[in-house]
Amino acid sequence: MSTVTRPEAPARDDAGAALPDGPPRPKRRGRTGARLTPYALLVPALIILIAVIGWPLLQLVIMSFQEFGRAQVFGAPPEFVGLGNYLGVLGDPEFWQVLGRSVLFAAACVVITMVVGVLVALLMRKLAAGWRLLVSVGLLLAWAMPPLSATIVWGWIFDSQYGVLNYALSEWFGLDFRGHSWLLEPLSFFFVAGIVIVWGAIPFVAFTVFAGLTQVPDEVLEAAQLDGAGPFKRFFLVIVPFLRPILIVVTILQIIWDLRVFTQIYALQALGGLAEQTNTLGVYIYRVSLGTGDFGVGGAISVIVVLFLVAISLYYVRQSLKEDR
Amino acid sequence: MDSGAPAGDHTPTKGNTAMRKLGIVALGAAAALALAGCASGGDAASESEPETGDLRVWLVGADTPQDARDYLVETFEAENPGSTLTIEEQSWDGLVDKLTTSLSSSDSPDLVEFGNTQAPAFTSVGALLDISDDYEALGGDDLLPGFVEAGSYDGAFYAAPLYAGARVVFADPAFVSEAPATLDDYIAQAKELAADNDGKSGIYFAGQDWYNALPFIWEAGGEIAVPEGDGWDAQLSSPESIVGLEQVQDLMLNASVAPKDGDNAEPWTPYCEGDAIQFSSPNWALGLASGCETENAPAAPFVYALPGADGGAAQAFAGGSNIGVSANSEYPELAKSALAIILSDEFQTIYGENGLIPAKQSLASTLGDSPEAQAFTAAAGSAKLTPASPNWAEVEASRVLEDFFVKIAQGGDVAELAAEVDEKIEDILNG
Amino acid sequence: MTAADTRAAVTAGAHAHGTTALPATPSAAPTRRRSARSVVGKVLLAASALVIFVMSVFPVYWMVNTSLQPNSQVRGSEVHFWPENGSLQNYIDVIFNYERAPFLPALANSLQITLLTVLIALVFAFLAAVAVTRFRFRSRVSFIIAILIIQMIPAEAMIISMFRVMDSWHLLNSIAGLTLVYVATVLPFTIWTLRGFVDGVPADLEEAAMIDGLSRTQAFWRITFPLLAPGLVATGVFGFIQAWNEFVFALVINPRPEAMTLPVWLRTFLDPNGGTDWAQLMAGSTLIAIPVVIFFLIVQNRMTSGMVSGAVKG
Repeated sequence: MSTVTRPEAPARDDAGAALPDGPPRPKRRGRTGARLTPYALLVPALIILIAVIGWPLLQLVIMSFQEFGRAQVFGAPPEFVGLGNYLGVLGDPEFWQVLGRSVLFAAACVVITMVVGVLVALLMRKLAAGWRLLVSVGLLLAWAMPPLSATIVWGWIFDSQYGVLNYALSEWFGLDFRGHSWLLEPLSFFFVAGIVIVWGAIPFVAFTVFAGLTQVPDEVLEAAQLDGAGPFKRFFLVIVPFLRPILIVVTILQIIWDLRVFTQIYALQALGGLAEQTNTLGVYIYRVSLGTGDFGVGGAISVIVVLFLVAISLYYVRQSLKEDR
Repeated sequence: MDSGAPAGDHTPTKGNTAMRKLGIVALGAAAALALAGCASGGDAASESEPETGDLRVWLVGADTPQDARDYLVETFEAENPGSTLTIEEQSWDGLVDKLTTSLSSSDSPDLVEFGNTQAPAFTSVGALLDISDDYEALGGDDLLPGFVEAGSYDGAFYAAPLYAGARVVFADPAFVSEAPATLDDYIAQAKELAADNDGKSGIYFAGQDWYNALPFIWEAGGEIAVPEGDGWDAQLSSPESIVGLEQVQDLMLNASVAPKDGDNAEPWTPYCEGDAIQFSSPNWALGLASGCETENAPAAPFVYALPGADGGAAQAFAGGSNIGVSANSEYPELAKSALAIILSDEFQTIYGENGLIPAKQSLASTLGDSPEAQAFTAAAGSAKLTPASPNWAEVEASRVLEDFFVKIAQGGDVAELAAEVDEKIEDILNG
Repeated sequence: MTAADTRAAVTAGAHAHGTTALPATPSAAPTRRRSARSVVGKVLLAASALVIFVMSVFPVYWMVNTSLQPNSQVRGSEVHFWPENGSLQNYIDVIFNYERAPFLPALANSLQITLLTVLIALVFAFLAAVAVTRFRFRSRVSFIIAILIIQMIPAEAMIISMFRVMDSWHLLNSIAGLTLVYVATVLPFTIWTLRGFVDGVPADLEEAAMIDGLSRTQAFWRITFPLLAPGLVATGVFGFIQAWNEFVFALVINPRPEAMTLPVWLRTFLDPNGGTDWAQLMAGSTLIAIPVVIFFLIVQNRMTSGMVSGAVKG
């Protein structure tokens, strides 16, 4: 019993086109009909994705091989420069420095966000309704706060001159934090940035994982417990397999978001610290592309970033898809 | 499409056929989406008479007073019967992105305002109509020269000055009642104030505040960068610049208790708190520093223009706006007529009366003759801009100057740091 | 939040069955000799809940606190932890001051765009999720991977090309255009996540129900769909917040004032020249956050009620 793995993998159904069940209004049983059903179901999403993302994406890729600045936006003919934009970025020592810094920072943020987010979700599952509502509302309020205002308020909290934190530490705890700059030291800067980012990301992770937890049947858990599985065993052997698809997508999204994080870093840099020691990938992208109107280079970096992300996430994606087969 | 649009030799990018086709396909598929609202940009009827139309003017922020807006609309509609003018207020946040896209689109506004430092991003790329022929009519050499330079590219005039702000010094009248005569006096006074008033800034000088550091460099005879052949030669490590930079460091270390890595976004806050005896800021800070509501609030500040090395007003960095006609404007003639109204003495006088420096030097007197107004006028007269390179925006985006001055504020070696930053600036300007 | 907390959390609640579904009435839990431990566990649980609540809410509290104070009181050496001299004046100014960009039209735009986005994205994503989980077809895996890769593209880099596409379709300054963009940006996540949820509902359940005499459609709606409710709610909330708070595309694609959405409206408070009125900005922020909370409160029951339907219980 303690070897409960995944809920039934649908894959073991007949190797044919469709499983016996279908969407609300499946096509009549005809063989061609059944074979076409999945495509029919995909059509609306596909149309939107191809039209609104695919087409601009194609243009972006083309742009990445061109010298494409504001002048080209206003009609000057773009000139193909081959791999020029790519080589420019890859040959920039700052790019690698920034990439390394971003990877470390994102890794720390993702791990913390996922661990805390999942713990909060598990906690919510255990809480009585009233307490759960309290936690949900708290998380939701954090999530609902407009990002602009969140960034501003966090800036006020950590402000060196009139910040809430320095005030509290100095006035209430008698520590001498008056005028202390939280952003001057790079480590301290990333500590602050990490708090702001993790704070903003936890509600999403916690809610999504919590929603996923509702699918784990209690019976399975109880059975596992009767079999003597401890909480950790139950978590890793029962809950994780159930949540796997959701955990993977949430983790990958966190990696994507944290690696490209822009707003928080950019806003904090304006408040203090040294940009050269705190630039991350998102800020770098902004600076060499949008900030200067060089959209060709921006396209090249985007492609590089996507390839990089694909490289680090493909393994997990394949793992997760393999089980489906 | 319409007659009078000499929108350069390149036609603005209307969709190519492939894109159209795809668009039609997807539109059909997404027809259900359209129920919520119709596209307002889809007005396909082509105007045959360019004489009348609805002109759209983008003004940014709340700086332009309501009186001026009313005057513009009324005058324009009286002068161009049958046409209307709509002012669409934009915000500074994200303005460059928004202008880049909107000006290039089929729904371009006709007349647009942007910051003077943002001007090179648009003058150099064909976004704006060449208005060199109107230069004389708009005011000619009476226009603020620094702003004309910002609005020109390659010998052509694209964006007229709109209004300017000047950087002046605001001082608590309880401590300072007379403007220092020279820059050296100013430095000595600020240090003395700090020494006599423990915990207060004689002059509030945050580490990131490179705008306020520029006058010291300029007054010592230095520059940020000068043109050299096809490229630029960064000058912060020149002996002259070093003199100015050392003065800056002296003030940051010995006259200021502002955060060493802070910015100068709201210097009136420490002023109102009594933490800063003096601060330097664009003139529009006057209202904010005059209405302090803190306990023991200082009185309204005494204002003076930063003194130059040899007296007079120092060359200081000037902020402000330019305004230009979109190259994609459907009604370029109407837009030009609105531009003429905006640069008329009547319209510009309203700026002056509201404490903004008018685009024409001859209207400086409209600021009034209060001591503040005189300080503004003096400062505006010697306003100076950053190097006029299309790549300058990248220098700002890269934050090398902020980093440089933060390190100076921390007491770093000026000559060494200057040599380092020169290299970075040249890399960007000549990249 | 240490491992010990979790252990306590897991142990304490594990035997109160139906935890997620029903308000776990403490008395109903047949406590064995572990009541002492259970009490400690409950206290620990409540304490963790409180800590999480406070840490999540503090910045939000600060936003509301600021919005109730006069602007002159917002910044300075005296920190106001409580809205002294509090009033709703900022809210009145923000809503009814027509000299600046008006609030109500922006609210109307945002509501239409966001609700349409959530609705369309959920329906389309749901169909797609069913397709990729309940059917095996060629290019299925490619589709899933493509969906993932789409999410990796930095949206900022797409602004120019996206804008040009919208322009060429004459969809600038419209509800439809921005909705289309948001649907496209929210869809990949929604499909991915719903895929996980549909996957989590065993197909056997439906078959069993059909043996009991339900038609396939009935089986789907009565058995599978309720189990998906939490997933739909979670992704719906995600989509709502994404669309509601999106700034850059809204700025660029809907540049006309009458087509403005709330995040763009909020930026109009930032005035680098005249001094930002922080108190009003925070009042505006609070107003923007309220509809999200309302939306959540309306749908949140669904998130926890998935199990109540009893589909799995049987």
